[in-house]
Amino acid sequence: MTGKYKRVSGDAVEYEVFARKTRGEPLHQVGSVVAPDDDLAAAYARATYDEERWVEMMIVPKAAVIQLWAPGEAEA
Amino acid sequence: MRYAEWCIAAPTLEADIAAAAMGLDDIGHSRVLYGSLRELGTADVPDEPGSYANVPYLDRPWTDWTAFVAANGVLDSAFTLMIEALAGGNVEVLRSRLKKMLQEERYHAMHGRSWLRESRAAVAVDQARRDAIVWIGPEAGDVDDLHQKGILSLGVRELRRRLDEQVSGAPASTPIDWKAWDPVRRRVVPGGIDELTLNMLQGLAEKRYMPAGA
Repeated sequence: MTGKYKRVSGDAVEYEVFARKTRGEPLHQVGSVVAPDDDLAAAYARATYDEERWVEMMIVPKAAVIQLWAPGEAEA
Repeated sequence: MRYAEWCIAAPTLEADIAAAAMGLDDIGHSRVLYGSLRELGTADVPDEPGSYANVPYLDRPWTDWTAFVAANGVLDSAFTLMIEALAGGNVEVLRSRLKKMLQEERYHAMHGRSWLRESRAAVAVDQARRDAIVWIGPEAGDVDDLHQKGILSLGVRELRRRLDEQVSGAPASTPIDWKAWDPVRRRVVPGGIDELTLNMLQGLAEKRYMPAGA
């Protein structure tokens, strides 16, 4: 069914999805989505991770996350 | 229903999930709308093939993803504009009950807008836009009448203008033959939903798979 479909821009990026169930609870990473822009990433995040009663949900482009250290690396 | 048909056929897994989620949202929205109509004293319409007031765009299953994209970006937006007009009108039941629907539709709009940018869907968009304009109806018709009574907060011109604003590209060039307009089914062409889909909508398909005696 999708044979004729051609994507205009091939640049999809990864977004991390964060949410919390109560105001006092810290944000948790609940998953990630891949999309070419913020609009679609938001729509995908909501469609994919809406099974719980979150009071707050947000997405962050993975490229915007600055890693301080990774597993196995010593703290700088 | 047509959204659901794409829940395993969209170009990406995320789009599959979004198609399923938007389909479920819209089933929920239909239940709210039918419930509100009943509460407002509207008689139930008999469940017959000729009584379905769907736009022609939904008569047959879509055979291409661009058809989904145009339905999502154009038709869904037109339906949402009408819901907005009802939520902003003077009927209290609708004012209070349609808010959640509009919140959910925001994500449908974001999905549609982004996929419209991503796809070469001009042919499908043209057809969907045409169906949307016909569905809204002619100027000085029932929608403008409801607008004058305050039941709808927007009239035909404003609904069309906002739709154009949301859907970029040239509006349909060929004029619409309003003389052929059916004000009940809100279309200018005959026809209706295909039999297979109709069977599913009426629950006949499910009954076929039910164990004997159940």
